Amino acid sequence: MAEPTTWNPYAPLSAQTTRMLGIGAVVAVLVLWAIISGSGLVGPNKLPAPWQVAKAFAYLAWDGENQRSLLFTATVWSLGRVLAAGVLVVAIGIPIGVIMGASPKVNAALSPLVDPFRSAPVVALLPIMVMWFGIGEWMKVLFLFIGAVVYLIPMVRDAVRAVPQAYWISARDLGATPFEAVRHAVLPLAMPRIADAVIVGVSVMWTYITVAEYVNAREGLGQLIQNARRFSAMDQVFAGIIVIIAFALLSYQLMRYLKAKMYPWETKL
Amino acid sequence: MSTPASPVSIELKDIVQEYPNKDGTGVLRVVDGISMTLQPGINMLLGPSGCGKSTILHMMGGVRPIGVQTPTSGTVLIDGQPCVEAHDDAIMVFQRYANRPDLTVEENVAFPFRLSHWRARINESEARRRVDETLAAVGLTGHRKHLPSQLSGGQNQRVALARALVLRPRILLMDEPFGALDAQTRGEMQQLLVQIYEQNPCLVVFVTHDVTEALTLGDRVIVLSTQPAKIADDFAILEPRPRSATWQRSTEAVRMEERILAQLHAASAGRASLRVSV
Repeated sequence: MAEPTTWNPYAPLSAQTTRMLGIGAVVAVLVLWAIISGSGLVGPNKLPAPWQVAKAFAYLAWDGENQRSLLFTATVWSLGRVLAAGVLVVAIGIPIGVIMGASPKVNAALSPLVDPFRSAPVVALLPIMVMWFGIGEWMKVLFLFIGAVVYLIPMVRDAVRAVPQAYWISARDLGATPFEAVRHAVLPLAMPRIADAVIVGVSVMWTYITVAEYVNAREGLGQLIQNARRFSAMDQVFAGIIVIIAFALLSYQLMRYLKAKMYPWETKL
Repeated sequence: MSTPASPVSIELKDIVQEYPNKDGTGVLRVVDGISMTLQPGINMLLGPSGCGKSTILHMMGGVRPIGVQTPTSGTVLIDGQPCVEAHDDAIMVFQRYANRPDLTVEENVAFPFRLSHWRARINESEARRRVDETLAAVGLTGHRKHLPSQLSGGQNQRVALARALVLRPRILLMDEPFGALDAQTRGEMQQLLVQIYEQNPCLVVFVTHDVTEALTLGDRVIVLSTQPAKIADDFAILEPRPRSATWQRSTEAVRMEERILAQLHAASAGRASLRVSV
């Protein structure tokens, strides 16, 4: 009786179908976009046409008149800030999260200080950060750091706590000190989920980069967008946004790939 | 691995274990005044699920529960010395193997030698020799470079067993180790345990709720009643191992089985649930 096309949430989808549907959706949006802007329904100062954005992109990528690539410089700066903040997030956030996960007392003390920020508007902290850290490079990196670390710490904590207690008990029974039991039995099993936390943290930083570069940035993708907006160059705004999305996606895929390489056993737990 | 077992004994004296109730209004008595003395041999602790036999096992030199005084009253002596925490000579094997998924079989077996406790006592070449020997004993030499995810449940349990044996414990505490395995694999693992035991006799305490398993393995069977656990029966099986299927069907074995079930029903008023595997 069952039809072969019956809707089933668990039915596997072939890689080809997945790709076709994904590409199809992107193409559909592009076509819709082209129709709306091409028909003149919405003015180019509100919605530039795809080809205008492409032209702006080409200009940003290589400005022949001034022999420079605005996009390249901006990307290097933004990437540098994300990387610097990323190093801080990993170096500070992961140890704090692990300690919180390993010690219920530390967790009880720190979680009221950390957890609320996951749902708090970190962007609203920007004025405070400007007051405290000025408008220089430090402020931008610290803003990205705070924006990401409030997501990362609870995720790392939960990753550690999700490791079955059996591993702890077994290690302790074999003579491990509490530190050794965490180091050799609990932490290795938490690593894939800690890697997930890093991936989320970096993704969050890409969403905050424009805000971080809102204040007094001379270079950067956020500044590029901000600057273009000021001159009502909507085509450049769109091009800038697309570049940020592309980099966020690229780093996401890269980190996913690295994670799968490093922890091939994860799904087989 | 053929050194004769150094004499070792575990003595429980009037062990009572209580846990605070979930609602905090009172206490739940899990173990009710148990006394016994265990000698080298395979000692089966048989009882219905959730009767407190695991709790008793953990007291015999294993890791004790966190946040609850264990035992509530009574004393545990190992070799006549009071034992109040995890004991060096006693190693536990669990139903959940607790193998590290990121380490190979041989790395998992060598795991204890990552710990400062054993590094200070056993040098590297001795550790390597023991790992090789133990891998051979549990039949995993051909799988030493494999990851746990590439192994079957039975093979994973062999890894866990090897990780305990590599420390040459005088006491082996087994907490329903084969409970999650299919019948055929369970049979193979029971054979393996007997084989390993014959090569290197020690004091095995084996917790199970499977009557057949108790009769297959035990030198001594201690039957516990349902919660709170009391000793319902305690007898020796003299039949040499391996015990054939013919013996399992003999009048002697069937009588033992009936005796266990009768004792349990008497002690637990029909609330007990035991397994008799075919």
